[in-house]
Amino acid sequence: MSGQRNIYKPLKARLTEVIEESPLIKTFVLIPEEDFSFSTGQFIELSVDGIGEAPFTPSSSPLIHDRLEVTVMKTGYVTEIMHNLIPGVFMGIRGPYGRGYPVERFFGKEVLILGGGCGLAPIRSLLYALEHVKDNLEKVILCYGSKTPADCIYKPLFNRLNSIDKFEAYRTVDKGDEEWVGPVGVAPTLLNNVSVNVTNSVAVVCGPPVMMKYGTLKILEMGYKDEQIYLSMEKNMSCGLGKCGHCMMGEFFVCKDGPVFTYNEIKDQPNIWD
Amino acid sequence: MRYNSITKKKWDKVILDLLSSHDVFAPVSSEHGHDYKYIAVSDIEAIVYNEPKPVTPLKNFFLPVKENVTGERIGERPRIIIGPPNCDVEALALLDEIYLGSDFNDIFYRKRRENTIIIGSDCIGKQEHCHCTSYGIRPYPTTIADLGLIIIEGIVYLRIITQKGEDFLNKIESSHECKEEEILSLIEREHSATEALLAETNKGLPDYKRTGEIVSLAGKEIWLKYSSKCVSCGACATICPTCSCFLLIDKPGFEKVKQLDACQYPGFERVAGGEDSLFRLHNRFRNRYMCKYIWKPQKFRPVACTGCGRCIDACIGKINKNELFMELARTAL
Repeated sequence: MSGQRNIYKPLKARLTEVIEESPLIKTFVLIPEEDFSFSTGQFIELSVDGIGEAPFTPSSSPLIHDRLEVTVMKTGYVTEIMHNLIPGVFMGIRGPYGRGYPVERFFGKEVLILGGGCGLAPIRSLLYALEHVKDNLEKVILCYGSKTPADCIYKPLFNRLNSIDKFEAYRTVDKGDEEWVGPVGVAPTLLNNVSVNVTNSVAVVCGPPVMMKYGTLKILEMGYKDEQIYLSMEKNMSCGLGKCGHCMMGEFFVCKDGPVFTYNEIKDQPNIWD
Repeated sequence: MRYNSITKKKWDKVILDLLSSHDVFAPVSSEHGHDYKYIAVSDIEAIVYNEPKPVTPLKNFFLPVKENVTGERIGERPRIIIGPPNCDVEALALLDEIYLGSDFNDIFYRKRRENTIIIGSDCIGKQEHCHCTSYGIRPYPTTIADLGLIIIEGIVYLRIITQKGEDFLNKIESSHECKEEEILSLIEREHSATEALLAETNKGLPDYKRTGEIVSLAGKEIWLKYSSKCVSCGACATICPTCSCFLLIDKPGFEKVKQLDACQYPGFERVAGGEDSLFRLHNRFRNRYMCKYIWKPQKFRPVACTGCGRCIDACIGKINKNELFMELARTAL
């Protein structure tokens, strides 16, 4: 092939560990056959040999190149099979694709992050990246909601974040249980109680479509401008190269032009929350 | 434009000689119309020249319906494709932008493009629904193809378009440069006659430069009206010379098969969680028009339609894109 890399051919990666995060969500720890770099917020196509592939934003630190963590919610055909994998098998990785979070544009600002459900996976990678550059940031606030306490992923992450200078982390649940003593309500309700300097701030939203929609509307209500809000969009990204057409969102290919967009960029495109 | 000429009899001998070193494809007639065939010795005299619009669009030579894109390609002979009309040739300009762009160089597409000599055909007359001129496209190739071919009174005239085409002609001893003014004006008259015929037949169609604007102004009612006859068969996209969306299918050994796909099929944009922004039929129907006349032009060339009219020919619901545009143009006034 003229020495050129075949863009359709996945890089093999050995699955070394499967971490059960919640009843529906597992984290897959992968060791790629060669070092693999990505920018936080970019996504990969992760495949099960002979079965299929699906797009995921790695949940691990972009500073680590010899190990990759991908957090997967069991929600369809491919992810259901992924959840049955055991360490030792090889998975396939294509990518990284698209445009991630422009971390340098956050410098000198407060970063308000709103996450829901499995949307904390890309956010965890972003948090690692922000921790690395925290001297350049004013403050980082994470507001995260899960359906129930059991559905919350990365539970130890919250205490850890609260112990880091400039970082604050808050949790809520849609529905509590006998042990839950924290706030109850959907993720955007946490925004009522955060102290943030809106004019010198950016907001990041990642989660299920319904939360993305109402979370964004809430953030706009707080006074954020369209261009201050960064959304990690989810569509049916397949080729990852802006060619196959499955992730078209109006004039944009989510896989190539995104998946991270400012609200300003996409607000006029059709069906952005579907 | 420079031309070489060769008698039809000698041209047939040229093709015969090429068969030993090249895969030659050209249209021949059947009860279904004329379409490309892998040319064997016995087919040479049956090749149909200068008939507009073979059934299959040229794209299928470069984007097969299905192919393994992770394996090595070995032993492919050089190809010559005779007969594509200019609506198909012009479509390659868009496909080249998509598949040979600086950020994405599809090695399978590129190798096929490099490996192929395209001898485009000048259309004499028109087929039903041909309307290339309404998109500013001439019914004879002057770019992208390597040569343009027209037969007049038993003589094959080959218009030189690319260096590859010229190199090909230089190897044919029996072809000669044609400088006779009388012949050149005869060819021009054939071109003009077809252009005039196409212009006359399609005079109600809106200026293609306005198609994006009138599609963007169209209300939901018109999409509901025209999509009411759509059965999501995807024939329009399958037969379109510029539609090139695809699906990747995983096979054991981390192999991938790329298969042409269409936004008209249900589930095209459905994600694992069930959300599907093209769930409703009229949204899928509208999506194709938005893509061709607004989104693709924003990213690539002016319009992603070359006026071949195959989508109208192929539609089992008898949805006529040109009628839709005339209605849109009337309501946009």
